[in-house]
Amino acid sequence: MAKFLGINRLGRLFQAIREAGGLKQAYLKLYRNDDLKTGKLIGIDKYGNRYFENPYYFYGRNRWVEYSPHVNMDYDGSQIPAEWYGWMHYKTDLPPIRDGCRPKHKWIADHSENLSGTKEAYMPYSTTPPKVEAWNPNKK
Amino acid sequence: MIRAPLVKALGALGSPTHQIASRAVRTSAVLAQTPAKAPEKIEVFVDDIPVMVLPGTTVLQAAAEVGVEIPRFCYHERLAVAGNCRMCLVEVEKSPKPVAACAMPVMKGWRIKTNSDLTRKAREGVMEFLLMNHPLDCPICDQGGECDLQDQAMAFGSDRSRFTDINYTGKRAVEDKDIGPLVKTVMTRCIHCTRCVRFASEIAGVDDLGTTGRGNDMQIGTYVEKLFLTELSGNVIDLCPVGALTNKPYSFVARPWEIRKVDSIDVLDAVGSNIVVSTRTNEVLRILPRENEDVNEEWLADKSRFACDGLKRQRLVAPMVRMPNGELQAVEWEGALIAVAKALQKAKGQVAGIAGQLADVEAMVALKDLVNRLDGELLVTEQDFIKGSGIEVRSSYLLNSTIAGLEQADAVLLVGTNPRYEAPLVNTRLRKAYVHNELQIASIGPKIDLSYQHNNLGADPNLVKDVCNGSHAFSKVLEGAKKPAIIIGVDVLERPDGAAIHATISEYCQKLKKPDWNPFNVLHNSASQVGAFDVGYQPGIQAVLQAQPKVLFLLNADAGKVTRDQLPKDCFVVYIGSHGDNGASIADAVLPGAAYTEKQAIYVNTEGRPQQTLPGVSPPGMAREDWKILRALSEVVGKPLAYDNLDELRARLESLAPHLTRLGELQPASGGESVAKPSISISSTPIDVKQKELRDYFMTDAISRASPTMAKCISAVNKQQRQDEARSCAAV
Repeated sequence: MAKFLGINRLGRLFQAIREAGGLKQAYLKLYRNDDLKTGKLIGIDKYGNRYFENPYYFYGRNRWVEYSPHVNMDYDGSQIPAEWYGWMHYKTDLPPIRDGCRPKHKWIADHSENLSGTKEAYMPYSTTPPKVEAWNPNKK
Repeated sequence: MIRAPLVKALGALGSPTHQIASRAVRTSAVLAQTPAKAPEKIEVFVDDIPVMVLPGTTVLQAAAEVGVEIPRFCYHERLAVAGNCRMCLVEVEKSPKPVAACAMPVMKGWRIKTNSDLTRKAREGVMEFLLMNHPLDCPICDQGGECDLQDQAMAFGSDRSRFTDINYTGKRAVEDKDIGPLVKTVMTRCIHCTRCVRFASEIAGVDDLGTTGRGNDMQIGTYVEKLFLTELSGNVIDLCPVGALTNKPYSFVARPWEIRKVDSIDVLDAVGSNIVVSTRTNEVLRILPRENEDVNEEWLADKSRFACDGLKRQRLVAPMVRMPNGELQAVEWEGALIAVAKALQKAKGQVAGIAGQLADVEAMVALKDLVNRLDGELLVTEQDFIKGSGIEVRSSYLLNSTIAGLEQADAVLLVGTNPRYEAPLVNTRLRKAYVHNELQIASIGPKIDLSYQHNNLGADPNLVKDVCNGSHAFSKVLEGAKKPAIIIGVDVLERPDGAAIHATISEYCQKLKKPDWNPFNVLHNSASQVGAFDVGYQPGIQAVLQAQPKVLFLLNADAGKVTRDQLPKDCFVVYIGSHGDNGASIADAVLPGAAYTEKQAIYVNTEGRPQQTLPGVSPPGMAREDWKILRALSEVVGKPLAYDNLDELRARLESLAPHLTRLGELQPASGGESVAKPSISISSTPIDVKQKELRDYFMTDAISRASPTMAKCISAVNKQQRQDEARSCAAV
């Protein structure tokens, strides 16, 4: 009966609000992530991104990330570092904190996010000579 | 040098050979000379169409009269007939063999078949022989797409060849020749039409090109290792029916079908040659001549053809203003115009303008109107001319005999001019008259090579007086001539006694005058000059320097005649033009204008013919058309000019000088009323010309000075001279 009326979902909503830390926090989270879910915190990466899992949701939506608060609304998928990438994309079920056999070498480069659309974006320079050569008044 | 005495001797008899020779070079001069009794026309049939032609007409010309074009390689209507390519073979009824149409005069009642089986077979055979030794490299050949051999092989050739290289000897291979920085040679492609050889010896007057060997071993070349350097060398590229002689700066640049072609006018000399500007992706790639019988026939001088790469270098692409630290800095249009306007307001009418060599009539009129509205009066041309009343009568500064008319002249006196380099296409007319019309030429000035024989009277200016008062031997020649002409160079008229020379000659020309012939000619060398005088500019910069203006406009004035120390310290110099050269480097504000390929503008050539350029590309960067800059400036100063578009400006032009908008038409100047005698008499300083040798020819204006090709030409001429000197030393 409760299931039929969807009261159990209401319970989940309350739980999610509770986990978020109150109505205001829940609203902010919904605003930022367009989603409000309950789940188990699996780990936190070096940038402060928090990874969650809840097998209640169906496959594909049962793992998610809440980006580090300091990026605010400017989050994007390329901010997930390589070590968490595999777990996020279901390549592995073992998150990096529990996977002991991951290689760790000194020479592995640090993760860098995609800078397209920002000031630091990569811009290739033209290799063709200009069609018209301008006069330089200071050259003698 | 071909002077064809035999042809002339026969000409008196009105023989057919004379007719062929004269028609072949299409000299109206010689046609005018034909005996008074016109010979009877004869009837021939071309593909059964009857046509009446003069005796001596060739089969090819008779066919052309009914609109049947016979394929040809060696035949060219402005060159002598060679008849060596055999492509024009046609069948004539009752003739045992096909005849070469270009060389065979028609006989009465001939039935010419230009499309019979025999004719077609003959053409196929000739084409097969030509292709036997012609490389199949059309995909990497610059002539591809505009090649006569390619087109005619498609139209008249066979679909297969019997050429099988059973001995594996390969096709004929010929070493390429280095004949200079302008013409690229791939001699393996040569089909021995000898058009280039004939052009060099007949039109250009240099016997540098020739043939060696016979039959299959025949080669075109310069005999010894030598550069083919004349001021007309580029024309052999157009004449070559295959890709043996191609444009070196343009090699591997573009295909003809990718190009946009714009009809325009050349402004690098005062002839006003008609040109076609080939552009692609907003870039001028090459310049070709356009046929105009009255101006340039179908030739083009090398500077006009090859200096177009100067349009891409040293350009002004943004307005510049001189900063307090003395450096020119690029600014926005607004800032530059405000800076100029402030200076103009401070000047309180002490404004002057100088128009240079490449200034167009529209810009000159706009500048004149602007300066006048600011209460300025001084508007002068950079190129000097005689002072005083010299330019009030239009005919006193024009080439009154007209360029095409000069080939009918039979006695010409050149005073202080070298037409070979100042106006190469005027010189070809004189040479044509010399070759075909018994023209006698004398010159007063330094000894120069004009590519034809002439009598150098000396450099003493008093010779002018002697000739003009009839005491000199050449006066008899001039007075006895049917169409005499005296051509004065502008270098002479720059002299302090220029006015005296001008007046003496113009008085003498009144005496020589014929009802339909004005013998008085001034040969200008800057494209803007006649237009400037037509709209009321005064000659010479001295007046401006004396007036010490507060603001000085330099409109394309790049000759370097105005220097900073001749002007007052607080003079604000504004340069309007396309290239960073002498003018821009002394300017306080630089306003980037358009070059002649980038604007629709009128130029008046030395005979007074207004013609207009059309834009092929857009001006680079922030550059704008010159008259629009002046219009915008007038708005900022607060004295707006009364025209907003080209049509309104042209209407203003028409009110100033109605002939200026009758494009392409020659307005005969009113008969030169005698000019008031100036007080100065002719001095004894020898007469000199500026352009004496080929190396002086290549760089004469801002565009050609910026051109890398022209620089290469000069170094090639110098190299050739060093080699010749070394050789002559070794011989001694």
